[in-house]
Amino acid sequence: MATRAFQRLPTAPAGRILALRLAAIVLSLFIIAGVLALSGHSPLMLAELILRSTIGSRFGLEDLALFMCPLLLTGAAVCVCGTIGLWNIGAEGQFYAGAIAATGVALGLHGPAVVLLPLMTIAGIAGGMAWITVPTLARAYAGVNEIITTLLLNFIASLLTYYLTTGPWRDRISGAQVSTQRIPVAIPEMWGIVHWGFPVAIVIVIGLALVLSRTRWGYEIRLGGANPEAARYAGIPVRVRIISVMLLSGGLAGLAGMFEVAGTVHRLQGGMANNFGYLGIVVAVLARGSCLNVIPAALLMALILDSGIVMQTQQLSSSVVLAITGLILFMIAIGDELAHYRPLARTTTGEKTR
Amino acid sequence: MIALLTGMLATAVLAGGVLALAALGEVLAERVGVTNLGVEGLMALGAVTAVMTVSAVPSPWVGLLAAIMVGALGGLVFAFGAVVMRANQVLCGLATTFMGLGLSTALGHNYAGQPVGTTFGHVSVPLLSSIPVIGPAFFGQNILIIPIYVLLPLAVHFIIFRTRHGLNMRAVGENPAAADAAGIPVMAMRLGYVVLGGAMAGMAGGYLTLTYVPVWSEGMVAGRGWIALALVIFAGYRPVIVTLSALLFGLVTALSFVGQAHNWPIDPAFLNMLPYLGTMAFIIVPVVVWHRMRRIMAAPAALGQPYYRDVR
Repeated sequence: MATRAFQRLPTAPAGRILALRLAAIVLSLFIIAGVLALSGHSPLMLAELILRSTIGSRFGLEDLALFMCPLLLTGAAVCVCGTIGLWNIGAEGQFYAGAIAATGVALGLHGPAVVLLPLMTIAGIAGGMAWITVPTLARAYAGVNEIITTLLLNFIASLLTYYLTTGPWRDRISGAQVSTQRIPVAIPEMWGIVHWGFPVAIVIVIGLALVLSRTRWGYEIRLGGANPEAARYAGIPVRVRIISVMLLSGGLAGLAGMFEVAGTVHRLQGGMANNFGYLGIVVAVLARGSCLNVIPAALLMALILDSGIVMQTQQLSSSVVLAITGLILFMIAIGDELAHYRPLARTTTGEKTR
Repeated sequence: MIALLTGMLATAVLAGGVLALAALGEVLAERVGVTNLGVEGLMALGAVTAVMTVSAVPSPWVGLLAAIMVGALGGLVFAFGAVVMRANQVLCGLATTFMGLGLSTALGHNYAGQPVGTTFGHVSVPLLSSIPVIGPAFFGQNILIIPIYVLLPLAVHFIIFRTRHGLNMRAVGENPAAADAAGIPVMAMRLGYVVLGGAMAGMAGGYLTLTYVPVWSEGMVAGRGWIALALVIFAGYRPVIVTLSALLFGLVTALSFVGQAHNWPIDPAFLNMLPYLGTMAFIIVPVVVWHRMRRIMAAPAALGQPYYRDVR
């Protein structure tokens, strides 16, 4: 009988995780290139085209920043929930709720941008928080699985957006389908089409990282996630912390929706969440529970989305991007687990050493 | 009124059947301790596979078989990550859903919007189908309804609760270390039932496009996989209750159809929210109203946890 030559470590070393993740991404790229080659595309030509039109051009870089902005916030939303050990799969719905609330303010009130934009921001955050309230209370007081409840609300938010954009708020001016009219105010632009929401999102993510790592509140959250029993024993009100973290998470996703409405799309549109909520899960996973890591993770995800635009011009359906994201996520999940294993030195008799 | 009820139940039985198949498959996987969040993606793959297959081979049985095989293959991919490699089950499941949704849309691009030519035809059981209201719904639609609502759930119930093998299954889901010590092959058990559950999710997708909604379009699975997952929790991981609640869910869906057909003064968007709102209510209200429900309907103790033989 062969002896087991590996030992599983309770926590994986960061260097090993990084190496295995790179391997996972490279392996995914090879699989994708293989599938593309089999379906009659030239992977090398496509790769060159993608590089030139994403990081190789001004328009590509601007798009990259615009993709990153919502991903930073939805990624942070899923990430803070993850710190206390919960999954917010409903960032997509909270994004819509924030977008709806912000649009409501912009269409319903009249005033200068200086007044409207802060009001829209508050409405967006409140919208996202409101959307996660029921799953939050159900989780905190009845222990109902938050994965399912947050997710189901995504469908409801999407239907609500569809109802508003085809019904009471439909565009009566230009008659665009499944869309409201252009809202009167916009977040000012700072570089090409990149609006100020982008640097604000980065500042928020950095601020969150500091709060989680440097404050008592952040410590209690992390302890509650690592060991809820120990946290309770230490006198931390875990239930109250769960409620505050989930509301914060919903607020972040709602803010992403507000930024998208006021900065990028300038109207409420059906399907405008564009999977940003679901991709936020991927960003948070890539970040491994550290808010600071959300920045490079969102950059990677934005790169994938940005290359999706190129693929569409090459007669590849945009849904291919979702499949590619799934493949990379799958490979990284396996890589992260493999990073826990350490080869054991063997003794001469073949017995494993402890 | 009778006609309305008959029509509503007929829709409910079709819509519920899709959920019942997927949810029953998930019961198998979760009983051995694995949460497969990939059901939604596997259903989409099964749905598109059935459409593509019957356009080449005009037989609904071949289409359904292809959907089952693709579902099993997808389940195998998930199981490779979540069971064999013991990676995080939530991540592997989400990744499977992403891959399934993305691939099915890419594959089905040329089939989108075209009605499916070959479907399961109407079968009328003599005598039984003439029972008012219930007859046409259960005995006058397609040949798979009785297997889905009666044979499969009873078979699964019998296996899980009345056989030694079922006892072993439950042991693997409750305490894999003890099961392992007793000589039960934990990994093989998990692998097998996750793949079987995947096959049933694929079958649910195929059943969807071969009976209830005979046309492929992007996003047509529309969260049915997630509703099936919620039903499993609601039904406390019990095969017969899960099937009954799927039928109840079919009724909620049918209600929104009836509303649209009869021009109720409610916007269709709100009627379409009913299944999702209903699912929310179903998994929250019972636990809030009756606290003991949580213990009675508890999940298998080791659900979602990978099993490492060498870590104690």
